[in-house]
Amino acid sequence: MHELAIAQSIIDAVGEKAAECNATQIKSVHLRIGEASGIFTDSLTFSFEMLASFDPVLNGARLLIDEVPHRARCRQCNSVFAVANFVPQCPACQTWDTEIVSGDELQILEMEIETEPHSPPPDGSETIVDEQKSTGEKSIHG
Amino acid sequence: MVKVVIAQNILAANDSIADDIRQSLAIRNIHTINIMSSPGAGKTTLLERTIERLHGQLDIGVIDGDIETSVDAERILAVGGETVQINTRGACHLEAHMIRQALDQLTMASGGLLFIENIGNLICPAHWDLGEDIRVVMVCTTEGDDKPEKYPQMFASSQVMIINKIDLQPYVDYDVAKVKQRALAINSHLRIFEISCRTDSGLDTWCEWLVTFARGTA
Repeated sequence: MHELAIAQSIIDAVGEKAAECNATQIKSVHLRIGEASGIFTDSLTFSFEMLASFDPVLNGARLLIDEVPHRARCRQCNSVFAVANFVPQCPACQTWDTEIVSGDELQILEMEIETEPHSPPPDGSETIVDEQKSTGEKSIHG
Repeated sequence: MVKVVIAQNILAANDSIADDIRQSLAIRNIHTINIMSSPGAGKTTLLERTIERLHGQLDIGVIDGDIETSVDAERILAVGGETVQINTRGACHLEAHMIRQALDQLTMASGGLLFIENIGNLICPAHWDLGEDIRVVMVCTTEGDDKPEKYPQMFASSQVMIINKIDLQPYVDYDVAKVKQRALAINSHLRIFEISCRTDSGLDTWCEWLVTFARGTA
């Protein structure tokens, strides 16, 4: 059930960022979740959609999840291998002298938002406004 | 549609509070242990025995996490420990903001040892950094001996494993050697203590280690 608390943390983080950007709608949130992070992604998606439905800015937002495999590097033979069942033992030289290189990620990468057409410039909005302008120009010339 | 880069840990808000806690406790020279287990493994009993044994040697504080009741805090008070009870009202783990709040009520001396007794649960508490220096996972002989492979994240993120109720091993089908081997396969750096809070077996070794830990020499 910790997925509910994790989902709430995502909602809080993207909600804060959306307010800074004057977002009217969050369309999607892109995550990177490691195989060894202990997160059941179906539960996380369910919890996220449920919590998002209470917030008009987040309602309907899609959760995109990149799952990252649990991998380790052997300090003896330098090979990178898949860690099975959390046991970081090198399959080539049988040593435990290894370091985890991926699999514990629990990150928010980015989100896609809609903003008011005439909203005041948010943080970093110069690029956003420029993008909108250039898109408009392209469509005119195209 | 506009893309906004966020690039932060999902638990960044929790982790930042945890870092503040760790810093402020380090300034006060208080060493902190987050102790986790399934319900009924014997966390509170271990803390009772530990406080009794280290009375006069170490100032020990306990932040007691429970879903409901102050039963555990009363037990700690009864043996002379200083304690603050947190009731999570249904939440399955403690979070750093709860510890920050509890610390406002805990007036521990410099150089002391602070235990955070987490909610009985081998899954969720593994995710939340509480500002502790080390994590202790406790298992016991009256539960299944397959806990390390069933809850690997808990064992991977701990520095110490305690096997409690070791006195009952002759009467139960609990393979201590297998548990140690499986736990070490997941985390080869685990320091392991075999204890019984009923017969006091292993408690001297545990308490000696705690004293060196609290003095920063473990």
